[in-house]
Amino acid sequence: MSAPLLQVRDLTLSLPDRSRGGMFGKPPMVDILRGISLDLPAGQSLGIVGESGSGKTSLGRAIVRLYQPTSGQILFDGTDITNLDEAAMRAHRKNMQMIFQDPQSSLNPRRRIGEIVAQPVLALGVEQDRRAALKRADLALDRAGLGHAFARRYPHELSGGQRQRVGIARAIATEPRLIVADEIVSGLDVSTQAQILALLNGLKQDMGLSLVFISHDLSVVRVLADRVMVMLGGRVVEEGHTADVFQGPRHAYTRQLIDAVPLPVIEPDWLDSQPGTEGTRMVDIKGQTVLVTGTSRGIGKVFVDALLAAGAAKVYAATRNGDGAHDDDRVVPVKLDVTSAADIVAAAGTCADTTVLINNAGINFNSKLLDTDQTDAASAEMTTNYLGTLNMCRAFAPVIESNGGGAIVNMASILARVSLPLMGSLCASKAAVYSMTQGIRAELAARGVAVFAVLPGAVDTDMTRDFPPPKATPADIVAEVLAGMKAGEADIYPGDMAKGVSGGLAADRPAVIAEMAGYV
Amino acid sequence: MSPILDIRDLRVSLRRGGHLVRDVSLSVDAGEVHGLVGESGAGKTMIAKAVLGILPDAARITGGVVRFRDDDLLQLPPKRLRSLLGREIALIPQDPLTGLNPARRISAQMTDMLRHHLGQSRGDARANALRLLQEVQIRDPEQVLDRYPHELSGGMRQRVLIAIAFSAEPSLIVADEPTTALDVTVQKQILRLIRQMQERHGTAVLFVTHDLGVVAKICHRVTVLHTGQVVEQGGIADIMSARATPFTRALMDATPRYDQPADALHPVPEHIHQELRATARRFDEANP
Repeated sequence: MSAPLLQVRDLTLSLPDRSRGGMFGKPPMVDILRGISLDLPAGQSLGIVGESGSGKTSLGRAIVRLYQPTSGQILFDGTDITNLDEAAMRAHRKNMQMIFQDPQSSLNPRRRIGEIVAQPVLALGVEQDRRAALKRADLALDRAGLGHAFARRYPHELSGGQRQRVGIARAIATEPRLIVADEIVSGLDVSTQAQILALLNGLKQDMGLSLVFISHDLSVVRVLADRVMVMLGGRVVEEGHTADVFQGPRHAYTRQLIDAVPLPVIEPDWLDSQPGTEGTRMVDIKGQTVLVTGTSRGIGKVFVDALLAAGAAKVYAATRNGDGAHDDDRVVPVKLDVTSAADIVAAAGTCADTTVLINNAGINFNSKLLDTDQTDAASAEMTTNYLGTLNMCRAFAPVIESNGGGAIVNMASILARVSLPLMGSLCASKAAVYSMTQGIRAELAARGVAVFAVLPGAVDTDMTRDFPPPKATPADIVAEVLAGMKAGEADIYPGDMAKGVSGGLAADRPAVIAEMAGYV
Repeated sequence: MSPILDIRDLRVSLRRGGHLVRDVSLSVDAGEVHGLVGESGAGKTMIAKAVLGILPDAARITGGVVRFRDDDLLQLPPKRLRSLLGREIALIPQDPLTGLNPARRISAQMTDMLRHHLGQSRGDARANALRLLQEVQIRDPEQVLDRYPHELSGGMRQRVLIAIAFSAEPSLIVADEPTTALDVTVQKQILRLIRQMQERHGTAVLFVTHDLGVVAKICHRVTVLHTGQVVEQGGIADIMSARATPFTRALMDATPRYDQPADALHPVPEHIHQELRATARRFDEANP
């Protein structure tokens, strides 16, 4: 089999972020594409779908070298074109054309349609002679279903569908081998859209064109694309035959995207299915590979059973001495002390298929801040609760990303939001966890990893024997965490005490602080 | 029960001649989401604009009645009409950015309506704005109030506009392609929100859209338009069924679906467009 017409290898693209940076100095660079690879055989079509900010348009532009990639490789027909200068690119441009979303803005209003279509033919040296170029334009207009009589007209005389046909005629006039089409049917009525899609399918077959078809609309992509790539945050989360991906999506984000497409069929429950609030992705445990720390007792132990019940594919049950064996064979015990850098590195290697990380391990010395003899408590709590969680996030965020995205869940405490001086040093460490979780959430927002903070109140475990009621059971806490993830709640407040304190803080913060102080 | 909005034989014409809306009748009951569906040029936006009294200069109403509760909106003195708009009849626009003033904070834009239309004090208006933002499920409503529109995402801006639309408890909301500019996952959230708010407040909604998928998910009844004429009118179950008229069925067949292969897609047969254009021409000949 011959080499693919287009090969992209580990392509990255960084552009200056013009929304940030001051009046002086350079704006910071932002990663738009992060390691994209693809193969497109001759005569095949590849659909690229994703929402705004996914990088799909930038990828299209990088492929035809409208953007200079930061690293990686683009091979067109076996030639590395990644770093060709514009003069050298010119030889390839006639073979790779791009059609843009808004034909109106790319058509010179003063030029006749024939001249507009002939322009690349002359500019790229396909023909030297103007009359020969116009002849090619006539042929292209015929092929685009407009008829060469349109060559005499001006852009303003055309409807939206006709203008998009002009865009197509101009792209095929140089007889290219590859066309990159970016959202070219999105502003069109369905009856026009269906015609344009049929036209492109016909051209693909008649001219043996390869097509990169970029769209936010999964349904449109299904019509044209042999294979599809789903993008999120500058990465590919899923790739495969279009029918396979749309009928049996493997990645949670693909499922979420498909679920959100309103099909023209009546489905009374559709609006209410998968409720979520803006900003956080909804994460279903079903089919996920989950690593939970601190599973020897308490909430961690309950998590393992609840995750199995919720349909997790595999659960890594991490304990300090690796004794997390379980009678369900989906559970894999892992020896992991979150205060040990070596353990964390090793776990990131052995648990490389993790898609959800639950940072549950934590300690509590029930220590006040000043009047205490447990002078090491603050340091130990910080080391386990804060640094342990942070180091786990650092090690596993890239793992989860490379597996196509997933989630990180950090167990903080309602005491992250208000200090209970009785356990002042614990509260400070939990506040650090909560703050860190917000930061990581922002850093991972566009990278396919949802980040949840869990802020429970007192839980009925042996760690909280001395704490007054009401206490929630670990089973209740865990159930609420899984429900919160499914609903896409960024901050999850499981149990009555957590909800009560959180509500109290919103209504009357000083009163809650005073009440907590009263326990000293 | 009488409808909230009752449009009878509405005709909208161009000043230079020709009709844009050709004697359209439709009614919207309390608690109903009524879809106004069609392709560009079908007249759906013109009807919405006629209801809101914001037709472009080139167009004018040349016939019919637009009854809102007991008033004919077309006969109402301008001052009385203005006092109805925003308070009794609200709009959710298509583009959430143009629907908001870029130079003013969200708090100012939300409290304007509450203070000027409903006469609330500054403090009450802010408290109500906060409550409304919570109702449209915006996290950190306090922070959002102090933001400018460009600091919010498209979905957040549309939530703010929905909050503003519902703020005066109107009995009718005109939603003009309210989710067309949004990503599909955000669109679903916004559709759900409109439905929740509409059910909670018993509001009648005239929902303008070109998307039959959106229609299927949110509308109770539907009016399908072509060249300013009603092609079909009925309950959502009828519109989505094989009983629908040839044009509606052709639109369905021309709508791509991710769950169906390419050969299931058929452009609208040209003769269907031609027949409907011919009906429009006959109407124009009879009503110059």
